[in-house]
Amino acid sequence: MPSIRVLRDIKARHGVEANEIARRAYLYVARNESLPPQVRHQAQLQLNTFGRYTRPTTVKNRCSESGKGRGIISEFALCRFQFRLKALKGELNGVHKASW
Amino acid sequence: MAAPVSASRLASIVKQRCSIFQTAYNPTNARTGAKYLRARLRGPSMVRYYPQTINISQIARQYPELEICDESEAERFEDVTEKKKRGKGAPKKAKTKADSRRLHKRR
Repeated sequence: MPSIRVLRDIKARHGVEANEIARRAYLYVARNESLPPQVRHQAQLQLNTFGRYTRPTTVKNRCSESGKGRGIISEFALCRFQFRLKALKGELNGVHKASW
Repeated sequence: MAAPVSASRLASIVKQRCSIFQTAYNPTNARTGAKYLRARLRGPSMVRYYPQTINISQIARQYPELEICDESEAERFEDVTEKKKRGKGAPKKAKTKADSRRLHKRR
């Protein structure tokens, strides 16, 4: 069972995906200088009504094994320790311990 | 040294270039918000970050006719009932303000 932090992150990811197109449309209107200021302001107010878990900045890459939030190697979705363990076990294709 | 090209001529060249490559002609560099429409959608790849896991309790809830037993959940439930029997259960929720005050005092 993933930790609550990972569950929360998954929730945020799904929220971002569900609301991305609407947010982009509002962003386009709000940031478009050729539109009247009133319209842009309305769009910005609409953007502010979106929930916390719809913003892409709330998404954080966490370790898929241990749920740690720091020291993540994003390509493998693992923290550095789990990465080491898995690499030494040979579970990561193309990764082996350096020696020279 | 070549003669300097006039600004109007340069502008017309840029305009031509925009019409050829089908890009927006924006001589004043005004912010049009186009970058929010042009950027790729990031949601689909964000959702795919964590590997898919099987959630037993969710499957059990979805298909009650299969009668799947979530062992860890059953064990937890058993532990809780055992604790309640020994009077070690969670305290009752405070219904009034006085109740919650009493709880604070006891601590």
